[in-house]
Amino acid sequence: MGLFRSMRTWRKRSPLVQLLVSRVWQGIVTLVIVSILIFWATEVLPGNAAYAVLGHNASPAEVHSLEIQLHLNRGLFAQYVSWVAGVLSGHLGTSIASGVPVWTLLKPRLVNSAVLAVAAGVVGATVAVLLGVLAAARKDSKLDDAVSGFALATIALPEFVVAITLVILLSTVVWHFFPGVSVLAPGTYPWNAPKLMILPVAALVIIVVPYIFRMTRAAMIEALESDFCEMARLKGVPRGRMLLVHALPNALPPIVQVTALTFLYLAGGIVIVEEAFAYPGIGQGLVNAVSARDIPVIQAIVLLLAAFYVVVNIVADVVVLLLTPRRREAR
Amino acid sequence: MNYKDQEAGTSALPQADVSPSSGKSIYTRRDVLKGAAMGAGLFAGAKVLGPRNRAAAGPSSRSTSATPKRGGVLRVGMTSGGADDTIDPLVWPTNMDGLRVFQLYDSLTALDKQAQPQLALAEEFTPNANATEWTVRLREGVTFHDGKPLTIDDVIYTYKLVANPKNPLTGFVLLGPVDVANIKKLDSRTMRVPCHSPYESFFASQACYQFFIIPEGSNPETVRVGTGPFKFESFTPGEQSTFTRNDNYWQTGLPYVDKVVISDYADDTSQVNGLISGQLDLIGALLGDDIPAIKTGGCDVLVENGGAYGPFTMRVDQPPFDDIRVRQAMRLVVDRPEMLDLVFGGYGLIGNDLFAPFDPSYDHALPQRHADIEQAKFLLKQAGHEHLTVTLVTSDIGAGSIKAAQVFAEQASAAGVTVNLQQVPVSTLYGPNYLKWTFAQDVWTYYPYLPNAQETFIKGAVFNECHVNNAKYTRLFNEANATVNDGLRTELIHEMQTLEYNGEASGYIVPYFIPSIDGFTKHVHGLTPSDTSNPLGGFDLSNVWMD
Repeated sequence: MGLFRSMRTWRKRSPLVQLLVSRVWQGIVTLVIVSILIFWATEVLPGNAAYAVLGHNASPAEVHSLEIQLHLNRGLFAQYVSWVAGVLSGHLGTSIASGVPVWTLLKPRLVNSAVLAVAAGVVGATVAVLLGVLAAARKDSKLDDAVSGFALATIALPEFVVAITLVILLSTVVWHFFPGVSVLAPGTYPWNAPKLMILPVAALVIIVVPYIFRMTRAAMIEALESDFCEMARLKGVPRGRMLLVHALPNALPPIVQVTALTFLYLAGGIVIVEEAFAYPGIGQGLVNAVSARDIPVIQAIVLLLAAFYVVVNIVADVVVLLLTPRRREAR
Repeated sequence: MNYKDQEAGTSALPQADVSPSSGKSIYTRRDVLKGAAMGAGLFAGAKVLGPRNRAAAGPSSRSTSATPKRGGVLRVGMTSGGADDTIDPLVWPTNMDGLRVFQLYDSLTALDKQAQPQLALAEEFTPNANATEWTVRLREGVTFHDGKPLTIDDVIYTYKLVANPKNPLTGFVLLGPVDVANIKKLDSRTMRVPCHSPYESFFASQACYQFFIIPEGSNPETVRVGTGPFKFESFTPGEQSTFTRNDNYWQTGLPYVDKVVISDYADDTSQVNGLISGQLDLIGALLGDDIPAIKTGGCDVLVENGGAYGPFTMRVDQPPFDDIRVRQAMRLVVDRPEMLDLVFGGYGLIGNDLFAPFDPSYDHALPQRHADIEQAKFLLKQAGHEHLTVTLVTSDIGAGSIKAAQVFAEQASAAGVTVNLQQVPVSTLYGPNYLKWTFAQDVWTYYPYLPNAQETFIKGAVFNECHVNNAKYTRLFNEANATVNDGLRTELIHEMQTLEYNGEASGYIVPYFIPSIDGFTKHVHGLTPSDTSNPLGGFDLSNVWMD
């Protein structure tokens, strides 16, 4: 009782815990809704796994016998209930298309996508923040104009254009520097073939840098024009110290937010880049699963992506809270 | 006809073709033929399907004097695969699956490069006088990849799997006339096959890609042991599979390469990129649009004019197509050379609303149908459909199907016909409404004539998209199957084709035959075009070698 009360008062006092608890609850509710939506959506898709697996050479009798084998003749609700029961006991089920446990199928793809997304995210964020700080420090200089212009131009480009342009420039038509496709042999991981990662990572970096760069630049300019920076400047604080110690920490919250958004984008948005390079990641897995009407795999991937969204959002909120002293105080 | 291997012990399939590459980057055998045999073609430039000149039908050679070399790893790319990739030799829906299956397995008979059925694992197929009973004997000394000798028990086991009424597999239609339960084993290599009805085309049917022999007692989905040129090494659905050379292959000397790596690609673009940037040696099932990129990238292109077709299917039991005049009018609105140009960049062969163009019984005497808008208008007016509006269900079922539908709609408008295109996903076209659409499209790979008719137009055919039900046609089919004399049978088949041609026993518009386009690097040799319509020379990697 005493413990409970002290927890309650602690909760009351700390906005961090309050935030965590409420966000986790929201996250769980979101995931449940997502799982229901996906089940419903896959039901709306025309055809089913039996048709997809057998192709059009199959006779109606053949399709029917496979439908029974795959339990597709059960109702949607029954399929959903048995799937939820499986997930709660730690089993994601078995792929309808290939008969392999979903987890066995997804694990290497998850690793591949994670490596691609993290590599692109880290490289992209570092480059973008550096450029943003530089551009803000030399606002309206030639460097600023050039980088800002380039960022604006690439923001307007769809992912596949970036990917194809890189391939044309660097691997097929103009030069032959890098592999044009990134097909990893089954059982090998990106770190076994780093050369294959160069173009996909480069494409994603080009796609994400403009967003973080523009946010960094804007936030830095705002911070540099604020009263406390004015004050620091008048006090004679050296330029580098002012940028990194005075301005940057104050510009960080929006940068963290946009970086988090970037990672969210990378989790879902690498689908197109993975397709363009035939990279065996989660995005390609999802595309394959949808065309095969492989409901257990679709469910697992979408749920993982949704969970990732929820977690990244919570982490970003927490980091922003920690970076914003006045919001850390209890209200 | 008695199908017997003249020299026992040698292969009836074409042996190692030697055709190393030189500078010319596009060639087709038919291009060569066109100049020689088809100078009288009616359409300047378009390739009209003419009588086949066997003598000229050798492998097209771009030859320097090189002899095939052993060894090397052949990296092959192919689209159409995915999470539902399979390596089941008895149910393989896509090109990707077929490419794998053809490396591991063989059937009793097989289509050669000219799409003619030849003996493969069998060395004898002998029918009785009216083809109600066949004697089949296997080639001697063939072993499975695990060392087990191939026996007739394996064949009987495979047939029983395919024809199992509780779980029929793709080939059950073509095994329909066979009394599988009463097949009699005569010795370890020979069986006597009784049929419910005369079945002359049994020999040809066994070459129709659906009867790959697996070891007795094995599960076709998981066995991965066959008698084919390559042995199983690994398989990851949707990604990659690897096979190694079968040193005991019954076609002595083949295959040439030590290992084959087959990778799944989502689309042609990434496939072509992989080829040009040196990650692949050989890719297949491309479109005409890909050719310039491959040539610019310093690689070679092979165009194969296969016998696959993408028919427009009109249901003859539903208005407006229940009126034969409407069906004929729809055939007359098609400008076939223009459609071929627009859909395949001019590659491929022009169709005459008939299938099986390479069957020796194909009736080349039937005049080539041309666009005749006036006649089409006249027929439609007679039928009371002057301002006909129809809905054509189209889908991306491969080989330019949607483009063909668009061209058709455009061409039909000249005759006052409004064609509304209803584009649906592939899984919808082949979903529960497949075989029920009033007006739609389909895709068929190459089959010899009688097996194709057996699948589509005879009474009770399983894939009768057009709901053709013509007693005379079915009777002719049965007669043809009871006729072992080639000449007499050909006459009967010509009668059947006339019924199709004049619209009585067909709801097909067959404007063209689909070309198959492959790309390969300068290091790849021995790829020869196949009329079977399967890409990569009919999925034939055993004759491919590398320098």
